[in-house]
Amino acid sequence: MTTMSRARVLALGAALALTAAMPGSAQERVKLINVVELSGAGATAGTQWRNGIDLAVADINARGGILGRQIDIVHYDTQTNPGNTRAAVQRAIDEGTYSVLGPVFSGPIGASMQIAQRAEIAQIVGGEAAGLTRQGNQFLFRTSLSQAAAMPKLATYLKDTVKASRIAVVWVNNDFGKGGRDAMLPELQRRGIQVALDVSTEQGQADFTADAIRIRNANVDAVFVYLNEDESARFLLAARQQNVNKPMIGETTLLGARVIQLAGEAANGARGHVGLSIDAPVPAFQDFGRRYQARFNIASDHNGLKGYMAVHMIKWATERMGRFDRKGVADTLRGATITPQMEPGILITTKIEANGDLDRESFLAEVENGQQVIKATLPMINP
Amino acid sequence: MSETAASPVPAKASGLAGGLLGRLDGVLLTLVAGAVILWFLPVGMGRYGTYVLTLWLVTAIAVMGLNLTLGIAGLKSLAQGAFMGIGAYITAILGTKLGIDWYTCFALSGLACFALGLVLGFPALRVKAHYLAFVTLAFSTLVWLVLRNEQWLTGGTFGISNIARPTLFGLRTDGALAFHRFVVVVTLILALALWWLVRSPWGRAFLALRENPIRAASLGIDIRAYTLLAFAIGSAYGGFAGALYAPLVEFIDPTPFALSASFMLLLMVVAGGSGYQLGPFLGALLAVALPEWLRFTGGLYLIVFGIVVLLLLIVCPTGILGLLDRGWTALKARFGASDGSRP
Repeated sequence: MTTMSRARVLALGAALALTAAMPGSAQERVKLINVVELSGAGATAGTQWRNGIDLAVADINARGGILGRQIDIVHYDTQTNPGNTRAAVQRAIDEGTYSVLGPVFSGPIGASMQIAQRAEIAQIVGGEAAGLTRQGNQFLFRTSLSQAAAMPKLATYLKDTVKASRIAVVWVNNDFGKGGRDAMLPELQRRGIQVALDVSTEQGQADFTADAIRIRNANVDAVFVYLNEDESARFLLAARQQNVNKPMIGETTLLGARVIQLAGEAANGARGHVGLSIDAPVPAFQDFGRRYQARFNIASDHNGLKGYMAVHMIKWATERMGRFDRKGVADTLRGATITPQMEPGILITTKIEANGDLDRESFLAEVENGQQVIKATLPMINP
Repeated sequence: MSETAASPVPAKASGLAGGLLGRLDGVLLTLVAGAVILWFLPVGMGRYGTYVLTLWLVTAIAVMGLNLTLGIAGLKSLAQGAFMGIGAYITAILGTKLGIDWYTCFALSGLACFALGLVLGFPALRVKAHYLAFVTLAFSTLVWLVLRNEQWLTGGTFGISNIARPTLFGLRTDGALAFHRFVVVVTLILALALWWLVRSPWGRAFLALRENPIRAASLGIDIRAYTLLAFAIGSAYGGFAGALYAPLVEFIDPTPFALSASFMLLLMVVAGGSGYQLGPFLGALLAVALPEWLRFTGGLYLIVFGIVVLLLLIVCPTGILGLLDRGWTALKARFGASDGSRP
């Protein structure tokens, strides 16, 4: 090989290396792994979350990807089991995921969040339990309001709008339901609302007749229902059968599309606070809802919206940095405020607190004729 | 498989190979060789692969205990998942709240489960077969309710996080590979202890109990004592497994110790080969690793797993090792004459 040809080969090699390193290279793709509950107790929520992610990935890829790279999305099921979740998150990181998406249930999040933290990779989760963001994990981010943020809004609603002084609290005894109840009780007490009946129910419980009868006999002004989607629907049906004619007040799940679909007529009259809803008076939400329905032939609940936003949070952070940097995603997200003008896929102005909690507008809603109707928009807590 | 725990008399090397070699058998060699392989296997495997391997071994310990209770002493228990939970919670609570070192927690987990196994074993003296399964089922549900509802102690549904991993001679086992090797050593010790037990007079007594209790009693075996002992030792292994599970996942909540876990452990005993000493390893491999391997089938992986298990139990109701044993016996019958004629 002559000196001349060697120089030419070197130049060619350098050019090739440079092309490969360029973010806009057509061959390059970015891998995202979603670890979520697709079987077991969390399957309803997890499937919605996965669908939301699939829709986001399709949208982003159709518009040219993130910084020119197409997204490859992989979903790993956790069976709603903490040990399996941990294995799946570990696998996601070993396989080079850019960020970890999911899970949605708070117990499995608790079991897996240290893995992403150690690897210094952002983990965008769907969990709402208040304790998750109190452990000083700098890499964990929510996609919804935490219970600690939502419950004060709901307690005020119970006092000022429903004008309740004695209520029954029906909650599901898992990390989600117990966390919500524990966040709600002090807020009720602070507002002088007495909890006359505290009803613990089981995850997967099929028959709520006995609980409904207890509530009917308890002489309360309203019922606060804090159950997962399927159980909410079963409870509403049992309450209707037992003629419990008290206002049914809930937080997000009770008014969700899935509950309205399952409970049918019995869902009418249910009201309360919703963090995210495709029926909210936000055109971007409604448009999302229509496209979700068209693609999956089912209405999206808040988990579908959360999954959609999760991918766009990663997209926004990466484009803001102008490069792919795993640790940088978390650094960029922390403390950021993302508006729909900056990133249309975020759908609504979202402020990310330093601990990974979110702040955004939320809504008071009521189910009327099988439709969730938004009655009022509540402002951000710390705009 | 040349040697199984189900055969009442261990194979002895004959003639020249007597003495020390007489004490060696296929199970022992497999255990030691397996431990050596597992020590080196995860090198370059990534943390995920290492985690699944470690989870397999931890599960195998619980299955070994149930194999003693069910496969060797013939007592149907649906409480092994609960014992695993008790061990995990004792280790987590003592470790995180009182700062007690892992080895003490490990010993206490085993002891507590041994004691509870004795107490739970008493009904075993009065009820048999599926009635015993009902008693243990009730116990399992009770334990799960305590784990979930006594939030002041167990953390309830929020569980316990940040469970520390043990140190060995000042060496930390925080890394995936270090902890895996630690678990390999503990598993080997526990498996060797059981290997010795099954070959001891106690083990023969357990087998006699399973095969024909009345005859065992007529031979002077104290049925009550041995039934209780089998139950208690099997339960203690559940506790040991739990004590390793807690630092492996570094987080526990009641979910993995619900009744379904006990059913899965029972499935592992049966699928691996009830009564065979290496059965628990194969059974646990089937239940822990197979779903992970099947992930390439996407959303169908649990359905495929269910079908595989169903087919397996239809084809070989005595488990994987039962099938191998039958095959081995058939081979020996065919070629036995020529082997026997060798000097």
